[in-house]
Amino acid sequence: MTADWGFPSDLDDVSGEVAIAGVGEADHTKASGRTTKQIGAQAIERALADAGLTPRDVDGIMHTPFDGQQFGADDYRAHFGTTHEMWTSTAGGGMVWAGSAPHEAALAIRAGKARTIVNVFSVAWATQRADMVGGPGEVHAAELFKQNLEVPFGWFPQPVYFATIARRHMHEYGTTPAQLGAIAVACRRHANRTPAAVLRDKPLTLEQYLASPTICDPFRKEDCCLISDGGGAYVMTSVERARDLRRPVIEVAGVGVGNSRTRTYWAQQGDFTATPQVFAAPGAFRMAGLSPADVDVLACYDPFTIVSLMQIEDMGFCKKGEGGPFVEGTTLHFDGGRIPYNTHGGMLSHAYVLGIAHVVEVVRQLRGEAAAQVKDAEIGVYGGYTGPQASTLILRRR
Amino acid sequence: MTSFRREFPLPDTEWPPTREFWAAAARGELALPRCDACRRWRWYPDATCRFCGSASSTWTAVSGRARLFSWSVVRRAFIPQLAADVPYVAGLVAIEEDPAVRIVTRIVDCEPAVLRIDLPVRVVFRPLRFAGVRGEVTAPMFVPE
Repeated sequence: MTADWGFPSDLDDVSGEVAIAGVGEADHTKASGRTTKQIGAQAIERALADAGLTPRDVDGIMHTPFDGQQFGADDYRAHFGTTHEMWTSTAGGGMVWAGSAPHEAALAIRAGKARTIVNVFSVAWATQRADMVGGPGEVHAAELFKQNLEVPFGWFPQPVYFATIARRHMHEYGTTPAQLGAIAVACRRHANRTPAAVLRDKPLTLEQYLASPTICDPFRKEDCCLISDGGGAYVMTSVERARDLRRPVIEVAGVGVGNSRTRTYWAQQGDFTATPQVFAAPGAFRMAGLSPADVDVLACYDPFTIVSLMQIEDMGFCKKGEGGPFVEGTTLHFDGGRIPYNTHGGMLSHAYVLGIAHVVEVVRQLRGEAAAQVKDAEIGVYGGYTGPQASTLILRRR
Repeated sequence: MTSFRREFPLPDTEWPPTREFWAAAARGELALPRCDACRRWRWYPDATCRFCGSASSTWTAVSGRARLFSWSVVRRAFIPQLAADVPYVAGLVAIEEDPAVRIVTRIVDCEPAVLRIDLPVRVVFRPLRFAGVRGEVTAPMFVPE
C-alpha cells in the first residue's frame, strides 16, 4: 500500500517551548443530569488548583467548536467572576485536538497573545443519549454523503464502521478476537485501579470477553467505548514560567498531525486498516528527537479496540500488521508491560471524554502520581484520533 | 441538536449529489459518476475529481459485479428504525471496474457463515423499509454469485 492516501500537516518546531503545568478531571459518570458547561467548569477549577494558579492567571482558553456547548471565554469570566481579556481558540478540546492544542498554544505564547492557556473539553452525552440518534452518532448521521450512501444500508454508527475495519484487519494480518480482547482486558485492569474510572468496580477477564456475544461482529460490547458525562482540562505555559510553578515541569517535546484525503469517509480510505497516525507520528518523534523505543507510557484515543491496535502499529510501536501478536498477554500492562497503555482505562473503561483524560493521565504518569503508576516514566505519548485526522503529542519530564 | 428528515434513515432521493445513484437503482442499474477528464470513478460524488480536479463527470452504469471487501453482522439495533432489520449484514463491496471504489451496501439472501473476504458478489435491487418510517426506496444490495 503506497502512503498516498494522506499527508502530514506542516507544523512549526515547538519542542521545549511549552509545558503542561496543571491538569484536572471533572467527575466521570454515567447519566448525571449535569450540563456540558458545568462539567467543563469543574475540570478547569481542578486544573487551576493543581497548577496553583488563580482564575485571573489564565489569559487564554481553547476548546472545540463542534457541539456548541463547550466552556468558552464568556463562560470562564462568568463562572470565575473576572472581566479580563482572554485569547481564545477553537483548535483545542478533545480527540485529535487534545494532542495538537499544545502546538497552537505554543505559537500563541511565542507571539505574545497569551501567557497561560487552558485547554478544556467536556461532554454530557450519557445524559443526552435519550435522543433519536444522540451523542457521537449524530454528527455522522447528519453528514449528507453518509446520510444518503451509508446510513440507509445500516452501515452506521461508529461500532459498525470499526467492526468492518476490524474484520478486514483480521483478514489482512491474521488478527484475532482474543488479541482485541487483550486490549480491552488491559484497559479494564487499569481502570480497576483508578478511583475516577467509571468501570473501576467491574473486572474483565479474557475468558469473559470471549464468552460474551457479538453486537456487530467481530465486536463485542467490550470492544466499544463507554458513553459518559465527564471532561478534563490542562493548563499550558512557557517552560520558563512553569519552572516557577508548583508542579514538576512536563514539557511538550513534539507534536505531529496527520490527515486522510478521504476525510471522514472510512469506506473510501486508501488503506482501510490504517489511521492517519502513519502521517502524524513521524513528525512528532522527529521534533522531539526521540523514537517509539524511548516511550515509557502511551495513551491513545480508543473508541474501539481496533483503533488502539491500528494506532499502536501506525505510530511505530511495532510493525504494521504485527499489532495483534504484539498486544497479547501483558504487553500493555502498567506493571512491567513493554509499552504501558491507557493506564487509566481509556475510553473503554475509564470514561468516554474523548481523549482529554488521556493527556491528563500521561501528565500524571510523568509526575509519578498516577493510580496505576508506571515505574520511572519520563516520556509519555498521547495519540489523538478523529478519523480524518490523527495527532501525536510527546511529553517529557524535565 | 441536528434535526433530521422525517423519512430518516431512508435516503433523500432528491439530494443532487446522489440523486442519480438512486434514480439508477429505481431503474435496476448500479451507476456511479465517472470523471470526464481522467476517467476515474468519482466516489463519493464530490463536486470535483480528487485525482485531477475536473468538475465534469458523467453517471455511468457498471456491471454490478464486485467482491466482498469487508462486513459486519449487525445484531444490535443502534437506532430504533433498524429494530426490525437485525440481524443484518452491512458491508463494503469493491466493484469489478475499480477495486479502490467501495460501495456501502447490504449483503442479502445468504447465511453470514458463507461470507468471506473477496467473495464474488453481484448486485440485486431491493426495497429499503424502516420501522416507523413511511415510504420505501429501491436500493442496490448484493448477493453471492
